[in-house]
Amino acid sequence: MDINIRIAGEAGQGLVVVGNMLVAAAAAAGLEVFSGKSYMSRIRGGLNWCDLRFADQRLSGLKERPDLLLALNETALELLREHAAPEAVILLDGKEERPQVLTVDFTGIAGQNGGTAIMGNTVAAGTIWGMLKYPLGFLEDFLRKEFAGRDEIIAKNLACAAAGYQKGLTQQTKLTAPQPVHAPASVTTGAAMIGLAAATSGVKFVTAYPMTPGTAVLNWLAAAADRYGIVVEQAEDEIAAVNMLCGAVYAGVPAMTTTSGGGFALMAEGLALAGMMELPILILLAQRPGPATGMPTRTAQEDLKFAINAGHGEFCRIVYAPGTHQQCHDLTRIALETAHRFQVPALMLTDQYLQDAETNIAMPDSGYQPIDRGLVEGEPEGYLRYADSPNGVSPRAIPGHGVAVVSDSDEHDEAGHLTEDFSVRIRQHDKRLRKNAGLLESFIMPEVYGPADADIALVCWGSTYGACREYVDAMNSGGGKFAMIHFTQLWPLPGDRLKPLLERPRRLIVVEGNAAGQFRALLREVGLSREISGVNRYDGLPITVEFLTAEVKP
Amino acid sequence: MIAIGKADTQPAWCPGCGNYHILKVLREVLATGSVDVKKLVLVSGIGQAAKLPHNIAVSVFNGLHGRALPAATGIKIANHELEVAIFSGDGDMYGEGGNHFLHNLRRNIGVKVFVHNNQVYGLTKGQASPTSDIGFVTSVQIHGQKLQPINPLAIAIVEECSFVARSFSGEPEHLKQMMLAAFAHRGGMALVDILQPCVSFNHTNTFKWYKDRVKPIPSDHDCHDKMKALELALRWGDEIPIGIFYKGTRKSYEADNEVLANGTLVGNYLNQPGEGKK
Repeated sequence: MDINIRIAGEAGQGLVVVGNMLVAAAAAAGLEVFSGKSYMSRIRGGLNWCDLRFADQRLSGLKERPDLLLALNETALELLREHAAPEAVILLDGKEERPQVLTVDFTGIAGQNGGTAIMGNTVAAGTIWGMLKYPLGFLEDFLRKEFAGRDEIIAKNLACAAAGYQKGLTQQTKLTAPQPVHAPASVTTGAAMIGLAAATSGVKFVTAYPMTPGTAVLNWLAAAADRYGIVVEQAEDEIAAVNMLCGAVYAGVPAMTTTSGGGFALMAEGLALAGMMELPILILLAQRPGPATGMPTRTAQEDLKFAINAGHGEFCRIVYAPGTHQQCHDLTRIALETAHRFQVPALMLTDQYLQDAETNIAMPDSGYQPIDRGLVEGEPEGYLRYADSPNGVSPRAIPGHGVAVVSDSDEHDEAGHLTEDFSVRIRQHDKRLRKNAGLLESFIMPEVYGPADADIALVCWGSTYGACREYVDAMNSGGGKFAMIHFTQLWPLPGDRLKPLLERPRRLIVVEGNAAGQFRALLREVGLSREISGVNRYDGLPITVEFLTAEVKP
Repeated sequence: MIAIGKADTQPAWCPGCGNYHILKVLREVLATGSVDVKKLVLVSGIGQAAKLPHNIAVSVFNGLHGRALPAATGIKIANHELEVAIFSGDGDMYGEGGNHFLHNLRRNIGVKVFVHNNQVYGLTKGQASPTSDIGFVTSVQIHGQKLQPINPLAIAIVEECSFVARSFSGEPEHLKQMMLAAFAHRGGMALVDILQPCVSFNHTNTFKWYKDRVKPIPSDHDCHDKMKALELALRWGDEIPIGIFYKGTRKSYEADNEVLANGTLVGNYLNQPGEGKK
């Protein structure tokens, strides 16, 4: 069982603070937690909210209808009330009584207990915690840790939390809270998992022009830079970022950039440079709705075809898209390793939803385990950077270590010097494209969740993992025969190996966060000729189990 | 195993092009042994000047048009023990790469930037460049250039670039001294703007035009005097000063970076973080 809590108000009101308190306390208590943010592109005002889901079983996604809505202002109440679950408890900050609404003067209670106005947030967190009847100690521990060293502030916050808690405990509600299950206490975001994997895998240089929602990874890496020995450089624009990346990788260190669709558009020429020079750069493309500026703080899966086709000319690349926090971690390392093994650029597609989503997982090793860069040893006689080879991969040396390393954006000979010789052009172009066979061999097959002989299969990729999995569970518990086929590698796709898997189910439904059905089209492109239907969401909000329940027509 | 010598390539320049003189002087500079060629990386973008690195048998990164500076910056950050030198043109560096030029002056990373400035686009056959003088008539600017030319030296001085100089391809000894001084400079970014005739597409700013105007900066010029340097940089016309205009005193990017203080990123790659040399 699970409970869904929505905290809503305007930017700057501290709703994220309340959410953070509750998420930390719930994880510490041993509940399974999943939370997400929905915010407008502004620093003050507007209507923002965060959703917190607590459960006694593993969670991998959000839900749309809250069982408990905390409205920090009138707008939040007016706009979000109708989206709450039918029996939901509605809490309103203030003094004005409303029918079917529990009004609590959080700021007033904070004042009565020696707290400042801002500590109304602590009262609010305490009230919700009390309504759920969880032990107060977990919330108190968080406050002690959060304000460590500031004893007076701790004392005031503890008083406010206790007052709110009493208020909550004494309310008669129909809320039933899930019981703790010894879930991990460490809470993390998708962005943090990508950052951690990059730092431990040996990324030594990170450069980006800040762009929502990619910036969360940039921020994580900047905070960890001194600890892991990483140089983080804010670029003057995305063109600079991708070219700096190419320079750093040429010189021998794994490096990455973070961006979103608009910034990635500026990187297209640099991506082609990495293709031509055979440089294993890593680009994190955190998607948001487009075109152009689109909806900067919302989520989408609209850049799949762009990621696969960006850059002029023909060259190999790998494109991944994690669907869970663990996959955010694991695929970052795989992306770096595979890019270096084949000397091709790699792209990781996430989105606002996954970047910001928080959950508790057993944290992976934070020790430094640098990936194999695949460099040649010593000073080989007659070294040729772009020597032809059966699998297309040439010996890679780095400058300053004995041999001259020549790389050119022009077509070049095996030594790396520019050429206009037609036959050399063909040999080098063939050599580069030959790497695709190896990339296909190392393809990560999609995860199949549900019965192997499923009647209906939901095909999805990236961040829709949680919603699709939960939908499959719900349908199967109601007697259905559903499966999820979740892709984490999106390019290149081995059509021949995928066919048996995708042709078996009676119905195949591709679920994705775009209007055009981009992955559906991609499956056609690699040879899947069967009937495929699509369920698409493109309003800027994440795909949820409720959305699938309404939209999937089995 | 790196020998200074000719790479196995044929220059693609017109007879009489100033690029030949610059290449010849660079070879002389490298022959002095003052630059460790094993640690040298020549970086360029696109244009006639940007083809120069292919004529020297050292490590080369010949990247995209306008993007020599960010690529060189990435190389220098990854391994700041490398000597990273850019050979670029006025279109590549001040036009297509203008934003990078501006922001790398702020960054002040220790790359050497040699700009072959012939005040015209050569590779695309004769259009105005960012340094073309007003009134310069081309196949596109048919009524003459109307945009104010970029003054790269003045901009560099305003941003306190750590080394700002100008030379002329027709004064090989002067150019050699400027190149040697730039390579010897250790304080951050070094800019040497090299005036150079384009025999095919610029019939205004000819070899003789430059030769008649260039005049060495007096030896008593204090290159730490920003305002005086700026005043010199604003001179253009009957007399064009050449020499070292300005030396800034800001710390270089690599000297001012907390992580690079522990050694190069490449050198520390296999070490556990925190185990690098202090």
